[in-house]
Amino acid sequence: MNHEAARTQKPAFAHLIWWFLFAQGGVIAAMLIPVHVLVQGILGPLQIVPVVDRHYDTWIQILGNPIVKLYLLVLIALPFYLFAHRLRYFLVDLGVPAARTLPAQVIFYGGAVVVTVVTIWVLLTSAPISFG
Amino acid sequence: MSAEAQASATPRAYRPEMARGWWLRQRHYFLYMVREFTAVPMALWLLWFLVEIQRASNGPKGYYPHSSPGFVVFSVIVLGFALYHSYTFLSLAGVIIHIKGVPSRLIVLSQFALWLVASVVIAAALIGFAR
Repeated sequence: MNHEAARTQKPAFAHLIWWFLFAQGGVIAAMLIPVHVLVQGILGPLQIVPVVDRHYDTWIQILGNPIVKLYLLVLIALPFYLFAHRLRYFLVDLGVPAARTLPAQVIFYGGAVVVTVVTIWVLLTSAPISFG
Repeated sequence: MSAEAQASATPRAYRPEMARGWWLRQRHYFLYMVREFTAVPMALWLLWFLVEIQRASNGPKGYYPHSSPGFVVFSVIVLGFALYHSYTFLSLAGVIIHIKGVPSRLIVLSQFALWLVASVVIAAALIGFAR
């Protein structure tokens, strides 16, 4: 594959896009995921602190905010471009050469695109957009 | 074309073979694989979070947040992997980002500071907007 790339000498825009998404996904996952897991996954359910998603009225109000919707889209969807890349190479490293193939790439990166679309759909249908 | 030239024209792919369990042999290999694996628990947690967001469409009677002890245990495990991803990824910033005259340690430090600030702001929002 690398030989062909060297021969044609085209700018690798596709690589650029996937690498950008991979890197951004990595940053987002690193900076944002731990605090959400800690607060919403541990402190909230154990009732150590009150958390916005514990009650319907506070949750639906904040979910309606378009800025929150955008934030949640970034938080949930972007890391999947990191995950897709990491998992594919995890399988390669475990001795699954099929993970290198084009179909595998379509499945993994396509999976990240599917998660993005589903997240947008859930965010738009779960709570009506409100500016209040 | 001679047979010899033809043989050299067909590319012979180099297929490196790794012994099964190679990553268990050295601590560094193992930690590398752990770092790659962090994607699995984080992905599962985010998808489960998406389910909770989706439940908001059930209305006030139908909505319930994740509360089971199993979910808390799961979150504790995910938090461990998530922190390991944060530590390894933000440490890499010193290798990725190069600014003239700025030592890489300072760049890494700024990434960790940013992480701390972001975490405090988000925690404050998640708790502050609660009832």
